[in-house]
Amino acid sequence: MAELAGVYAASHGPMIVRNWGKLAAAEKDGLTAAFAELGKRMRAARPDVLVVISPDHWVNFFIDNLPAICVGVGETHDGPPEPWLHEFPHRSLAGHPALAEHIVRHAHEHDFEPSVSYRLALDHGFCIPLWKAGLDPLSPIVPVIFNDLEPPYPSVKRCFDWGAMLAQAIASFPGKLRVGILATGGLSHSIGEPDMGRIDEAFDRDCIHRFEHGDPRALIDFLNERLPGAGNGASEVRNWVAAHGAASGRGFELIRYDPISNVYVGCGFASWNLNARS
Amino acid sequence: MRDYWLSKLFFDLQSPPLADEYRADRKKVLDRYSLKPAVRAAVESDDVATLSRLVNPYLLRFYFLMAGMPEDEFLRRIRASGAAPAARSAHG
Repeated sequence: MAELAGVYAASHGPMIVRNWGKLAAAEKDGLTAAFAELGKRMRAARPDVLVVISPDHWVNFFIDNLPAICVGVGETHDGPPEPWLHEFPHRSLAGHPALAEHIVRHAHEHDFEPSVSYRLALDHGFCIPLWKAGLDPLSPIVPVIFNDLEPPYPSVKRCFDWGAMLAQAIASFPGKLRVGILATGGLSHSIGEPDMGRIDEAFDRDCIHRFEHGDPRALIDFLNERLPGAGNGASEVRNWVAAHGAASGRGFELIRYDPISNVYVGCGFASWNLNARS
Repeated sequence: MRDYWLSKLFFDLQSPPLADEYRADRKKVLDRYSLKPAVRAAVESDDVATLSRLVNPYLLRFYFLMAGMPEDEFLRRIRASGAAPAARSAHG
C-alpha cells in the first residue's frame, strides 16, 4: 500500500521570480531560507510521487469551462507557459497516471466529483515552489487544480473533506509508493482589486495559529468568517485546508512567514506533523 | 457577472504572438471580438475602473501589464476605482 510521506504548504507569488531583483536583501534571504528548508524536509521524506494542489491562473481553464477541482491524469504535463518563467528547468514534467487515476476512481466512489485532464500546463502556482525548493530530480507529479480564482469556489469545508478523501485514496493505492502532498498559494494577498498590494498580516498570523493547533472546525469557522476580507488571493488558502484534511487535522509546523510587500503576498511555508496525534 | 468577450480578449492575449499583434495594432485585434460599444470604449481608453467591474481581477491585472501600463499607474488607478470586488462578494 502507498504511504503518505509528508504534507507541505508554500506560497507561490509570481513576484518571487519577476521582482526578485528589486527585493531587499533581507526579503531574499528569508525566501531563500524558507524554500531551502521546505526542500530539505521534502527530500528527507523521499517521496516517489508528489500530489501538488494549486489553482490554475487562467492557463488551462476559462469561464466557458471552469471545473471546481481537476486532477491531471496524464503521463506528461507541460511546463509553465509564463514567459517570465523561461528559466524554469523543465519544459515538461512527468505525471503518475496510475496514482492519479486511482485518486479519481476513489473520489467518485466516495461522492466527490473531480474532473480530469490528460494534459495540463502547470503554471507558476505549481512550478515556483517545486523550482525554488530545489527538488532536482523532480518526482512525478499528480497535479490537482482547485478553483481558487473565480467564484463560485469550493467551500472551505469541502476542501478539508477533499483532502481527507485524498489521504484515504493514497492509503488504498495498491502499490508500494511514498507520496508527498504540496499545497501552494496564499496567504493573504489581493490582485487586480482596489486593495491590491495589501497584506492582512493579522489574518495571516491568526490563520497560521489555527493551522498549528489543528482543530479543523475552528479553522473552517475562522476561514468562513475571515477569508472574504483577506484579499482575493487568500482564497488559495483552500489548498492549505485540503492539505490539513489530508494530514487528518494534525497541526502544522510553520517553517517561515514573511509579509513581503514587494511580492504583494503574505508568504508562508509549513510542513504538517504527521506523527502527531490527530 | 463577467463580460464574456472582454474576458475572452484578455484570456487570449496571454498568447505572446497575439499580445505582440495587439500592441502593434490594437484596433485590428479588437475588431475580432464582439465587444459591446461601451466595453470597447473602456478598453480603448484604458478605463481601469470600468473594466474592473466586468472581468476577473487576475485577468485585469494581466491585461494592463501586457498592454504596457506601468505598475505604479495601474496600482494608482485600481486603488482609486473603489470598485466593489466582485470576486469576494458572494462566495469568499
